[in-house]
Amino acid sequence: MLEIKNLMVFYENAIAINNVNMRCKEGVITGVFGANSAGKSTLMYTISGIILDMKKKEKMRGGERITVLGSITYDGSDILNMKPSERAKKGIILCPERRRIFPESTTLENLKIGGYLATRAQAKKTMEYVFAIFPALRELKGREGGFLSGGEQQMLAIGRALMAQPKLLLLDEPLLGLSPKIEAILARTVKDINRETGITILITEQYARPILPIIDYAYVLENGGAVLEGTSQELMENPDVKSAYFGL
Amino acid sequence: MDIHILIYGTVNSVIFALIAVGFTLVYGVSRLPNFAHGALYVLVGFLTWSFIHDLKMNYPVAIILSLIISAFLGAIIYRLVLIRLRGMATSEIIASFAVSLIILEGLRMQGIGGFKGFIGPFYILPPFIEGKMRILGVLIDFQRLIIIGGGLAVVSLLWLFTHHTRIGLSLRGIAQDERAALMLGIDSDRAAVIALSIGSALAGLAAVIILPLGNVTAEAGYRVLIYALAVCIIGGLGSWAGTVLASFVLGFAMIVSTALFGAVWESVVLVGAIILILILRPSGLLGKQKELEERV
Repeated sequence: MLEIKNLMVFYENAIAINNVNMRCKEGVITGVFGANSAGKSTLMYTISGIILDMKKKEKMRGGERITVLGSITYDGSDILNMKPSERAKKGIILCPERRRIFPESTTLENLKIGGYLATRAQAKKTMEYVFAIFPALRELKGREGGFLSGGEQQMLAIGRALMAQPKLLLLDEPLLGLSPKIEAILARTVKDINRETGITILITEQYARPILPIIDYAYVLENGGAVLEGTSQELMENPDVKSAYFGL
Repeated sequence: MDIHILIYGTVNSVIFALIAVGFTLVYGVSRLPNFAHGALYVLVGFLTWSFIHDLKMNYPVAIILSLIISAFLGAIIYRLVLIRLRGMATSEIIASFAVSLIILEGLRMQGIGGFKGFIGPFYILPPFIEGKMRILGVLIDFQRLIIIGGGLAVVSLLWLFTHHTRIGLSLRGIAQDERAALMLGIDSDRAAVIALSIGSALAGLAAVIILPLGNVTAEAGYRVLIYALAVCIIGGLGSWAGTVLASFVLGFAMIVSTALFGAVWESVVLVGAIILILILRPSGLLGKQKELEERV
């Protein structure tokens, strides 16, 4: 479904993504693990096209020069230079790191804004689905996003992304800063979403342990380069990975 | 006397709100200070006048046509000028003010193609309904009542638009977190075009409702721009509730100072209020963008 070839991203002369090759197979969950500054978020911004907007803004201010090289093929067509809104229309939806909930809008409004690309019927159906998988959100319909707890915000962020009718859902560190209990609930829900809706998911995390059980295939990023890849079983058995990423 | 201040203060406050609401919308959604706001206000006044007197249109048709033209102009200003300067605040101000100068000074220009220029006090839009009535013993003309009704209608329609329509909600998304909105497929250029069109049409709407109180002059463009800026600075840039609150603060402050000290103090009150707010609360009365920090 998604194929990345020889992807390089530079911020001025610093390399953020170094010759990464990876693919997301349709209907499965692919994981990307890596420490801080390994390039996970840059990778997500590049796939979703946000990097083009960052590039434009930096250029306007005369700031950092951002360069993107390589190719990203999605559903058979090259999307490297496609605007983020066009990519979203094609079904690539990013649920960003640190959630970025609209703080002054209520939970319900956040979901409605998420449904910008959806038809009325799709929005209604998806909203019911979101409330079914995150029953806590139903109780918080009228509360402003800025007043939700971290876990609630993350549920809302995933729900909001689902409202945009993704075909490829990009989850950037969805478990960041959450308690182990909520981590487990969210990880299970992500798996449920994948199983029930068939949405292809690409998920990044610093710590592999909580999401290892739900992924089918994973890549390990280090200093911008993909150093390892394999099924979750293969990765778990690799001694280097064990100590560095799984905390075993 | 008190009731007189209450009624005329309310009218004055609604005038401020009508003038500022379009400016706030554009700034709130796209962080674009549209310094051509006052020029569009005056342009709509003159367009409506010309449609009535030169093209012999009837009044409502002339109004609607000028509002449509104003909305288009807003979109054109963004597409041709501001889109190249997004994110550079000073350049946005200079460029939109340049557009404002072109429009306002263009209106005064004479001689090109037999154009006589809009100079002097001869351009008057008729009130929607002639006549006056008494409320609690205070004489008030119908146009001022229409202003109050129009202001209420504009604010409530805008509230409905931004809370219950797909496009309106997407504008609020962009206003709160542009990047998060981009991820959901909302295009920021498209949102800016929509915001500027609506903002410009609102400037025009304010013009056609308010201008029948006096005559249409090009100079009014600069004053309207200063009014809009004053309201937005005092209320907090981009804040809806702040805009309404600041309109009432300014509207009443001006009427009270006029009643107590005379009309010369009007502009002193306006500028004084801006300076006071900038010293005491630089982000404005309800400028709260920084208060709701994300929770980690």
